[in-house]
Formats: sequence, C-alpha cells, structure tokens
Amino acid sequence: DSTIGNPTDCKPCPCPGGSSCAIVPKTKEVVCTNCPTGTTGKRCELCDDGYFGDPLGENGPIRACRACQCNNNIDPNAVGNCDRQTGECLKCIYNTAGFYCDRCNDGFFGNALNTDTADKCKPCSCSPYGTVDRQTTCSQVTGQCECLPHVTNRDCSACQPGFYNLLSGQGCERCDCNAVGSTN
Amino acid sequence: ESGTPPPPPVGPLLFFTQSGKMDVPWRLYPKAVLHLPEKVIIAVAYDCVDKMVYWTDITSPSINKASLQGGDAIPVIRTDLESPEGLAVDHLGRNLYWTDSMRDRIEVAKLDGSQRRVLFDDDLVNPRAIITDSANGHLYWTDWNREAPKIETSYMDGTNRRILVKDDLGLPNGLTYDSHSSQLCWADAGTRRVECINPNQTGRRKILEGIQYPFGITSYGRNLYYTDWRRDAIIAADRTVGRENDEFQPQKRSRLYGITTAYAQCPQGQNYCTVN
Repeated sequence: DSTIGNPTDCKPCPCPGGSSCAIVPKTKEVVCTNCPTGTTGKRCELCDDGYFGDPLGENGPIRACRACQCNNNIDPNAVGNCDRQTGECLKCIYNTAGFYCDRCNDGFFGNALNTDTADKCKPCSCSPYGTVDRQTTCSQVTGQCECLPHVTNRDCSACQPGFYNLLSGQGCERCDCNAVGSTN
Repeated sequence: ESGTPPPPPVGPLLFFTQSGKMDVPWRLYPKAVLHLPEKVIIAVAYDCVDKMVYWTDITSPSINKASLQGGDAIPVIRTDLESPEGLAVDHLGRNLYWTDSMRDRIEVAKLDGSQRRVLFDDDLVNPRAIITDSANGHLYWTDWNREAPKIETSYMDGTNRRILVKDDLGLPNGLTYDSHSSQLCWADAGTRRVECINPNQTGRRKILEGIQYPFGITSYGRNLYYTDWRRDAIIAADRTVGRENDEFQPQKRSRLYGITTAYAQCPQGQNYCTVN
C-alpha cells in the first residue's frame, strides 16, 4: 500500500525473474501477472498448456517446463495434450494409450512407437464367433485373440483342420468323418 | 481464483484468452478482465443482454460465467465435460452451445446450465469453434479432423444439419459470423488462410493468405481479429481489402486462444425461440 507513505510500503512481487504482480482487491491475495515464458499460475508454479513440469519445485526437485512427451502420438493442433504437472498424456491419437501414449489402446495391437502412423496400432478385429467371451481385445504385441477350443488364426476366424462349425460360438467340433470314406 | 473488478465497460470490446487470463487488447481497457491463473481458458463468448462473459476451462473441464461489472466466476456446467473448446451464446433464445473434442459432441443448455441436451454426437472428430447467427436461427461449427475437415451448419434446434464447406480446408480452428455483412469467416491453421463465405450463396473469398497459426477469430466492423499461436498475438485485418492493419502482442509470450467481440448493444432481431 503506497498511500501510507513509508519506504517499506511497496514490497517486491513474489514472482520469479522479478515479474509483475497485482493484489486481488476482494481477497488481498497477491497474484503474478506476467510469469516467465512457459509458466503460469498465481506464483508461476504451473506450466503453460502443452508443457509439463514443476518450475518452482513445489512437489520435489525443480523440473523446468518442457513440451508434452507423448511419442509423437498427440496432435499439435489439440489443446490440453498432457497434464501440466505430471506430464501424463491426455489426448493420445493413432489408437495409442498409456501415460506417454506408448502402448496400443484396448482392442488394438502393434508397436505404438513405430514412426509410420499406419504401422502403429492395428485393430484386433477378433472374430466374435471364435473368441472367448466375444472379447474384443488381443495380445498387445502379437495381436493374437484368445480363441475357443479348436479355433485358429490370429483373429480366431477359422477352425483347425479336422474341425467345423465355427458359428456355434462354442468352439469348433470334430468332423468325425469316417476314415474309410474320406479323402484325407 | 481471483477476479479484478473492472470499471463498467463502454463501447464494444474484444476479449481474448491467454492461458488462464482473459484480457482486452489495445489501449481500450487497461486491466485484465479476469485472471484465473490455475486454469486454461480456451473459448470465450459474450451475452450482450446480461453483460456476462462465458468461458470454457479445460483444466477442470467446465463452463463458467462472470459479470463484466466484476464478480466471481460462477460455474454453469461442471459435469460430463472432457475438453470443451468452443462456446457460443444465443442471446435471443437464451441458450448456450458448446463443442467437446474428447466426447465428440455438440451440446446445448439454457444460459444457467439447465435443460442440457446433446445436439449432435455423430460424425464429429475434432469439433472446435461454434457460433450462432441468432437472428436467422443458424448454428455453425468447425471440425478440424485431419482426414476430413469441415464446416457444418444446422438450425439452432439441431435440425437441417448439413456440411457447408469441406473442400480445401486444413485445420479450421476459428469461426465468426458478422450479421451486418452476412459473412461467415474462418481461420485455418492448415491452409494458413482466413476465408469468408456468405452462407446463403456460393461465393467464397480468400481474405488473408500465408498467415502463421491462427486459432480464434472474431469480426467487428470492417475488421477481423484473429489470435495466432506462432506470433503470440492478435492480428487485425480489414476484411474488405484483405490486409493486416494492426497487431497486439501481450507482454507475456504464450499461446492466445479464443477471441470474441462484446457489442455495447445487442444486434436487432428475434428468432423462433424468443417468441415460443
């Protein structure tokens, strides 16, 4: 309060780099108004949108704000791509998921870290007839769906040789062909 | 949360958002209108009847409002939002429209948040800007889906939905409608252009080309004003001659998001919802 006239009336702003501040009239709270580049918050303790870190070290060591680390699986035109404090990726694309968009989303398989977007995560497309409980998820790495008895293929879409009736949804049944009258 | 009560506004104002700050550019207004330092505010809209500003916050996904005469932030919508990015006020029907790019929806509610309902939840990938032409009862929005970007329109009750523009679009981030000239203009960070169209006609005009990275856009008089993520600035351009004529760069360098015009008086007109 500079109206009192004491030399100590004006205090320096509690803001990094000597940046400016203001007092909220209603609450008398001091708020930084021009935080250093990349930071924001009442005391410049937060990172700008699209960045994460702990610039004042409020929750441990100081971590300067840096761009969201999401393995190129976010879109730069999106907003809110990662949590500003933890860096958790919030808007993974190309069917990726995980803290760093580093794995395939449920129902997809492949390598989320592939550089070619078409090669990243492909749909499991498990056959509903041949898959246990009609699951839609598969092995993250191989893409193998969990097949019912005597069902084969990555997507559980066919019966093993000598078996039939995939559409039963119970697994495939033995053909039980007469060995004498069959060709193989 | 904090709010600096500003003096009563005079004349038309522009609002833009920068991180958690809502500000007025140029020398029209000396102070921030609203400062919510822990938030990231994307869209801003103005209700010329009650003189309230509305905004979307993506950090604690919500839609809020505050009086221009000063006052606290009042939550309007707090549930079932993920990434609210576009916001429009229908000052005649007293409705609020918004886009949510995570839920891939367009929703509507009364200005107090009541009577909320989903207007569209299909054929939306990255819906962003949304605006109303209240007098004619039209709604317009953009979808920056990289596979098939588009600008769509419908009546304000959601009927008669159709694609207005789909060719030669990139990342249509911003949209504005000027009722005086009946021009719908968009800012595209992919084609790096600002273009306008009369929604009733076929004429499409390039206003600006080779711009940097536009996000929000608004119109006032002959001018268009757009925010830019590379220049961290608001750029003014004369719509009729297609030339930049001013630039405002806030002291703090960071992305600017939504921008809107707050007219001192509401534009004339009434629509179906005001009489029913």
